[in-house]
Amino acid sequence: MKHKPILITICVIFIIGIIGSVWVLNAPKKSFVRVVSDGKTVYTADLGVTADTSFDVEYQGHVNTVEIRDHRIRVKSADCPDQTCVKMGYLHSAAMPIVCLPHKLVIEFTDSTDGVDAMTR
Amino acid sequence: MKENVKRLAELGVLTAVALIIFVVELQIPNPFPIPGIKLGLANIITVYAVYHYRAYEVAMLVTVRLVLGAVFGGNISALLYSAAGAYLCLIGMLLLKRVIDEKHLWMASVLGAVLHNTGQLLMALVLLRTPQLWLYYPFLLLSGCLAGAFTGLCAQLVTVRLKGWKR
Repeated sequence: MKHKPILITICVIFIIGIIGSVWVLNAPKKSFVRVVSDGKTVYTADLGVTADTSFDVEYQGHVNTVEIRDHRIRVKSADCPDQTCVKMGYLHSAAMPIVCLPHKLVIEFTDSTDGVDAMTR
Repeated sequence: MKENVKRLAELGVLTAVALIIFVVELQIPNPFPIPGIKLGLANIITVYAVYHYRAYEVAMLVTVRLVLGAVFGGNISALLYSAAGAYLCLIGMLLLKRVIDEKHLWMASVLGAVLHNTGQLLMALVLLRTPQLWLYYPFLLLSGCLAGAFTGLCAQLVTVRLKGWKR
């Protein structure tokens, strides 16, 4: 049967997907976070010591409101149509950053806060 | 000449159907809060068209659907991501069509969906310049396999239903 190699390819892709997902979900948390807007780091913080706060990140007139609460970080609200970044909730895995594709915003765990344009509060 | 007009009308109808499916799907809440993961029901039409129309005709259909879909969905900025995915998927499926016959259309659909997600992720990597986005790839692979299998099976049903319509 000539479709067998294709079927095997599909199975391999599926299994890689499962293994990868499990690995990504089990990646450990870190303490430092970084907010990147359009490729530039606009905010870094050490979640372990940062007090509860919230701030706006603007990109071409659009706004994402980022909130830090109980040493966790999330996008509280956004004026994008799909709201995916809001629904992702708190950042929970070093391997899976929160992203807002329409506004080019990324929130991720990072090793330290030594970015050149870091702005620690 | 008459044949051309008929094909054009058919493509118009298919584009309209794809757009309707696209808009209806926007109303379904997405349980997976990961960018890029969705069923992509509108691709049922793309998969069907790949197997029944010429390459440039499908390319036209996909282009119109992408642009109008972005306008209707009010998410113009997402157009770059969906376009990257859609064209990579289209190229892949047009090539796979030579290897996979119509009875096994769902396999082409699965690989097409995986390519679709790959295209989106590559575009996101280029635009956001955040290498960590690769870590989304396993989830996108999984969702591509499942969504692709589903849309592929739907497309097979559509093919059966449309046998009488297209002569």
